[in-house]
Amino acid sequence: MRDERVEAKREAESLDEPAEAARDLAERLGLEPYPVRYWVVDHDEMNELIAYGGFQRRYPHWRWGMNYERQRKKDRHGLGKAFEIVNNDDPSHAFLQESNADADQKAVITHVEAHADFFANNRWFGLYADRGADGPNAAARLERNADRIAAIADRPAVERDEVERLIDAVSALEDTIDQHNPVDAARSVEEPGIADDVNGPDDDALAAIEDRIAELDLSEEVRRDVFDDEWLEARGEGVEPEEPRPDVLAFLRDYGKRYDPDSGKAVDREPWETTVIDALREEAYYFAGQKQTKVMNEGWATYWESVMMGGEGFAGPDEFLTYADHMSRVLGSPGLNPYKLGFELWTHVELRAARHDVIDKLLRVEGVTPENFHSRIDLDAVAEALDPHPAIAGAGPATLDALADLAADGDPRVDAEAVDRALSARGDDGAIGPDAGPDIERYPWRLLTREGLAERHYVLSRPEHRGALRNVSRETLAERARYMFDVDRYATVDEALADVDRAAGWDRMLEIRESHNDVTFIDAFLTDEFVREGNYFTYEYSRAAEQHRVASVDADDVRKKLLLQFTNFGKPTIVVLDGNFRNRGELLLGHRYNGVPLNEESAKATVERVFELWGRPVNLATIRVEYSDEAIRRAKRRGTEPEGDEVGVRFQYDGGEVTEHDLDPEIRERIAADEVDYDTKPDEWLA
Amino acid sequence: MGLTEDRERFREVGEERRADLAEFISHGDLGGSGPDRVRIPVKIVDLPEFEYDRREAGGVGQGQGGQPQPGQPVDPEPGDGDEEGDPGEEGGEHEYYEMDPEEFARELDEELGLDLEPKGKRVVEEVEGDFTDTARAGPRGTLDVDEFFKRGLKRHLATDFDGEYVREGLFVAGADVDDVFAWARGNGVPVSRAWIADAAATLAEERGEPVATLDRWESFDALDGEIEREPVSHRIRREGIDSVPFRREDERFRHPEVIEERERNVVVVNVRDASGSMRETKRELVERVFTPMDWYLTGKYDAAEFRYVVHDAEAWEVDRGEFFGVQSGGGTRISSAYELVAEILEEYPYSEWNRYVFAAGDSENAGTDTTESVIPMMESIDANLHAYVETQPGGAAPNARHADEVENALGDADNVAVARVSEPDDVTDAIYEILSTEAAGDGDAAVSEAASGRGGERR
Repeated sequence: MRDERVEAKREAESLDEPAEAARDLAERLGLEPYPVRYWVVDHDEMNELIAYGGFQRRYPHWRWGMNYERQRKKDRHGLGKAFEIVNNDDPSHAFLQESNADADQKAVITHVEAHADFFANNRWFGLYADRGADGPNAAARLERNADRIAAIADRPAVERDEVERLIDAVSALEDTIDQHNPVDAARSVEEPGIADDVNGPDDDALAAIEDRIAELDLSEEVRRDVFDDEWLEARGEGVEPEEPRPDVLAFLRDYGKRYDPDSGKAVDREPWETTVIDALREEAYYFAGQKQTKVMNEGWATYWESVMMGGEGFAGPDEFLTYADHMSRVLGSPGLNPYKLGFELWTHVELRAARHDVIDKLLRVEGVTPENFHSRIDLDAVAEALDPHPAIAGAGPATLDALADLAADGDPRVDAEAVDRALSARGDDGAIGPDAGPDIERYPWRLLTREGLAERHYVLSRPEHRGALRNVSRETLAERARYMFDVDRYATVDEALADVDRAAGWDRMLEIRESHNDVTFIDAFLTDEFVREGNYFTYEYSRAAEQHRVASVDADDVRKKLLLQFTNFGKPTIVVLDGNFRNRGELLLGHRYNGVPLNEESAKATVERVFELWGRPVNLATIRVEYSDEAIRRAKRRGTEPEGDEVGVRFQYDGGEVTEHDLDPEIRERIAADEVDYDTKPDEWLA
Repeated sequence: MGLTEDRERFREVGEERRADLAEFISHGDLGGSGPDRVRIPVKIVDLPEFEYDRREAGGVGQGQGGQPQPGQPVDPEPGDGDEEGDPGEEGGEHEYYEMDPEEFARELDEELGLDLEPKGKRVVEEVEGDFTDTARAGPRGTLDVDEFFKRGLKRHLATDFDGEYVREGLFVAGADVDDVFAWARGNGVPVSRAWIADAAATLAEERGEPVATLDRWESFDALDGEIEREPVSHRIRREGIDSVPFRREDERFRHPEVIEERERNVVVVNVRDASGSMRETKRELVERVFTPMDWYLTGKYDAAEFRYVVHDAEAWEVDRGEFFGVQSGGGTRISSAYELVAEILEEYPYSEWNRYVFAAGDSENAGTDTTESVIPMMESIDANLHAYVETQPGGAAPNARHADEVENALGDADNVAVARVSEPDDVTDAIYEILSTEAAGDGDAAVSEAASGRGGERR
């Protein structure tokens, strides 16, 4: 259906072969991607696609024009050449830049296959994708929204500017949704039918959610912050009208009006307005999955790209340098780079799972305890024993006979059928026939199963991780051993090693890619080791010094700060506290204050947008930190940071100017969250 | 459609909220820019949203080569690592908009309503323009066929004549070849004697008797009375041309016109008082006025050179980097700077260079230095523009008279501007005042005329 409509896009025929091979490899590695359609586009088309968030058509709005101009500027200055953009859809559509070198193109394809796997299997994407029988169907839905909104704007009775104003207002609130739920479930408690569809009427929703959260392996702190009791309650019981509602947009959609400047009163919305709000809100839910999993998703794609490109030589040896260069540019850009952070976290997950697997086996060897682990076990010998079988490691034409022998014994690591075909394609003279059989020269992995590939790429056999077993601390060992039963299962180390599951790392990764999002991922896997080795640190603004300073290199602090950047899209949480504030039909929004105040300028501007959707005065309760001149002077003198006063503020907007009022202490109580603290400033900073 | 429309709307929306250049010049951080790149903080034209206060939120960074020490200052967010286009990602926010000086000049023109038309002075090369000139020789390909034909036709018209008419002359009684030739030529017929002799011989052969005996006409007069000579043009119109006599000398070859390409080049001498009274706020005001003007002129001209002179009682030349920072202790003698300026400008002949002399200070000067030395020198140094910028936070001081004196003496000259800046908000007005003053005439004549006219008045 798309295909007929596509004008300038060329389907990438020359990429059919590598795309097919990449798919085969991805599946052998255990990935289950959506089908992907590949297109080759030029610079300008790429910039357009990026402007439109990966799609070819969106509803009319100036923001796309802005995105385009920005992207073009980046592109022109060489700051952000986009190699590809892929959208989350079934099938996914991947658009590759025409100017990519062949090696880039192959790398991008492997990257895209991994993204498509993530789209298809991550639960947070599933919130959107799994709600209909036809999958996400994103391109079609966005296109339908584009048509609808364009048609509305074309109506003679509707002013184009009005439509744009409405889109502006809704877009300003696109992150104030309840991204932990499917779009329909969060919408309205007064329409229980929808929620039933999603959860199934018999499920105990609350219990199910608690189970899911328990699976996530989170620290108590995050659990409290992200999934607090209120949150749980909201999910389980349904929201009392008086309860805070995180889906501000839904509340506005359901109860909002429009302000009529002629009469000076709030009037009911026109039906087209509700249509526009619904369309945009739906899109916000669609994109929420991506926003919540950026680090995971990019890291995932980068990880598998490196396995396929580097590990399996998906790029020819001649292309490898270009690829390596590409990779180092992607990973090497400074700052907090989601590709790099994600990639490193995934590698860490893999390593940790593999290490635990081996440790668990070794601790079950008779006589081995956490205390004598390092002395009793010859770790060099272990490392050697874990090295992949030479025929597996060097799979290819040269080891075909050895692989055939393994296949004859029913070895699960070898794809017996492929070996068989390769053997029959090989002439009696030992030369490989040109056409018949799998091209095992270029694609030796075709001879192996996932098990074989897992051994070939076993993380503990990679040179950079060979020391991982030695570095394991006695503490960790003790922890692993604590809940271990069946301790003396193996008589010898060799016996234990024979049971090692080379796929343990990959299996764990697949599980995690299903259930986690960035917040839970970072919380669960950002370890001290990771922070130390990556030289990560937190910084804070020093009022006394009037500059940013390194605040902490402590792993907990770094994690805390990162979580601030990822929780709730890195945005403050805003909830509806009251839809009939002061009994005057005013809206009262509350900023859940977690120690980090709002950017007041943008908050005020946003409140003005909310007014467009509420039609009556809008209030925002928040807490700000005030520093008296005296406190700052004193702090400077003493070489410390000034103490700020947390002051409750209520902003009000009624169509004129945003005014500021004292905040009722009772309301203040409702928005302050005292148990979280994102401040990582040390006590003695300037000393 | 689609995106094109969205871009158009964005332009409109952006226009409404665009970062204000005047605001940037007056209050913004000029330090982030280099001579070739102007970095302007952009109010991000984007929708507002609920977001954290950036400062209070702090952040996470990654140390290069080792773990940094707490307390160490850091530059937050050294660039966004967003390399590939990510679905749903709105693109990094750019806090700075970079423009080149050309764009800056255009924008400033628009912002301040300036209209400076730079003059091309130095001939840098002669280039070939359109093929509008012609020459008598050239490659065949450039032969101007139209011209060739026209000339041939003209020649044809000039040499063609009514043969029948001349031949009729031979029938005049007693007329021989010479008589007919004399008659024909007398009547302005471009015929040669040979042609007549030829015609006579043919006629004699036809008739079997010499032409002198043919006497259809009594005399030439009788002939003229009876036979109307037909103008050539009529005949050509009737009969058409059988052939046009092409001659080599009619050939014209087109060749390109030579155009003098003039480079619009400018030399700007920035002069600043560095004496003890020029404290930091004053120096900053100078920088705010001079820096945008430098960018502006760089953007306006093909080639721009900048020289920097600071002075107290003495003047010396410095690099741009030092220019705005230097502070010395001495007194003030502004004429010392102009002496150096005159010397520097000798390298830039006024016939080839647009010259701008921008001086700034707090108007303090030694004794009668302004009236006796500076003003005559400003008059004698040819320049598109002499400007003096008085930076006097809190208004003029009573004994700081330089600006007033210059203004009194030269205020009417069309190449002298005096501007006063007492706070950043005055900066754009000052820039406008200066850049809108430039001498209207081009070349020395107009300028020196204006200057001498003024001089005459003053004396």
